Amino acid sequence: MLRDITIGQYFPVSSPMHRLDPRVKMVLTVLYIVALFLPKTWVGLALSVVLLAVAYALARIPFSMVVKSVRPILLLVTLTAALNLFYNKEGVVLFQWWIFTVTDSGLAKTAFIIVRILCLIVGSSLLTYTTTPTALTDAIERLLSPLKAVRLNVHELAMMMTIALRFIPTLIEETDKIMSAQKARGADMESGGLVRRIRALLPVLIPLFASSFRRAYELALAMECRCYRGGEGRTRMKQLRMALRDGVALLVMAVAIALLIGLNSVFPKVI
Amino acid sequence: MAILEVENLTYAYSDGLPTARAAVNDVSLTVEAGSFVGVIGHTGSGKSTLVQHFNGLLRPTAGRVLLGGKDIWADPKKIREVRFRVGLVFQYPEYQLFEDTVRQDIAFGPRNMGLSEAEVAERVEEAAAFVGLPAALLDKSPFDLSGGEKRRAAVAGVMAMRPEVLILDEPTAGLDPAGQENLLRQVKAYQQERGCTVLLVSHRMEDVARVADRVLVMHGGRVAMYDDTAAVFSRADELREIGLSIPDVTRVFMGLRARGLDVGENVYTVEQAAARLLPLLRRGKGE
Repeated sequence: MLRDITIGQYFPVSSPMHRLDPRVKMVLTVLYIVALFLPKTWVGLALSVVLLAVAYALARIPFSMVVKSVRPILLLVTLTAALNLFYNKEGVVLFQWWIFTVTDSGLAKTAFIIVRILCLIVGSSLLTYTTTPTALTDAIERLLSPLKAVRLNVHELAMMMTIALRFIPTLIEETDKIMSAQKARGADMESGGLVRRIRALLPVLIPLFASSFRRAYELALAMECRCYRGGEGRTRMKQLRMALRDGVALLVMAVAIALLIGLNSVFPKVI
Repeated sequence: MAILEVENLTYAYSDGLPTARAAVNDVSLTVEAGSFVGVIGHTGSGKSTLVQHFNGLLRPTAGRVLLGGKDIWADPKKIREVRFRVGLVFQYPEYQLFEDTVRQDIAFGPRNMGLSEAEVAERVEEAAAFVGLPAALLDKSPFDLSGGEKRRAAVAGVMAMRPEVLILDEPTAGLDPAGQENLLRQVKAYQQERGCTVLLVSHRMEDVARVADRVLVMHGGRVAMYDDTAAVFSRADELREIGLSIPDVTRVFMGLRARGLDVGENVYTVEQAAARLLPLLRRGKGE
């Protein structure tokens, strides 16, 4: 059923990672992604994996969630791995058949890249696992606020994102209801070719659009009735405040980045 | 003769998870063909979930639903045919309207049945007449109608399939008193004229008392009572215990009886009350 779809993947437990300031978490995620491309040695790569493992342990996210975050990109990983494996002609040839050649350095590089991509996905998932969508939009609003200088209305942007997120479950419920109602009138959405199936969606899409417009109109009215007039001079109920742990987290990341760069000149490079 | 039979029906939302809870719990009942059954219960009692099993929108976690003696899930591929035989009008059905004209929208169901255009047109006219939609409105866009007109168009859309069993889930919710009264009268007239079976889901006792021959009371996913309307409303105390109220007039009459006035039992509507009180008044004046 439609209502089983979960939007966002927030994993509700209480942990130091969950309590980190969302702005800091966002910056850390971006820094981590950049840092992933720094190591050129096995030791450096191992360090970035360890860093991620520690972060997950601190966040108390079960391993099954990690696996779940990787599943959708397995195809991409396999494809990238295959291309890397067969296009590398350096090093000792281990295996050869028709146009396919596998070398030892190709194998090493492929393994390196797989680990890197997996870390990338698992690392960015940590942000959404430990931060609610609303906290995320808050953080985006605050992080983008310098852009006000170039006349970008950051508050409106964040408000639109918040509203969109807020209404996803409502719309799913509504879709479910309209689908049931049309099925009750004999609508057949499960059979036929592509064109027929798309046509069969019209009885669902049209009422859904109509009701979305109605909802948007009602919401705008309700907001105006409560004197909403945009971000100007507006205070927040939940103030974002940096704490000691946020400083510590940033410091750890800074040290890790320095180490990752330093290790490159100590150990033999793989890539 | 029984048209609908439900055997030990249980339905659990999010089955298999620790959060699973039975919305409908081991329900068995029989609906006689041609009867008008009121289904009452407060929010969360499982009444809406229960009726969605009758046309196969929901599949029971356990138990069976028999339509005309046959299990509706015997062949899952033929579930659409069940939906043509058991018409379900959802809560706030006006939000399902989508076609260019009201006529087209009412025709959606009959067309899905694969009927000829002539047959479809005839059924649309008939259904529109049943709900009192003027012919002039049929060629308008459904989005231009008033709330009450939309509701009637949506009800007509299900009636046009000429289902053997018509189920209406809270059909009067959000209508003004005159609109509620009209719709109920039209549904009752439809049932009597077509001789079909009607199930009316409502939490408004007055609605149910006015039109139903039998009343099914749901509570906590189970059947609390299922009996003739008179028998159910005579158990006023039990009804109140499970958070349901009896019609206002009935309460007044029970009060009158408690004070020793001989006004008789089984009064659910203002009309019935007037019929009881007028002779008493006349007798009072005569003496």
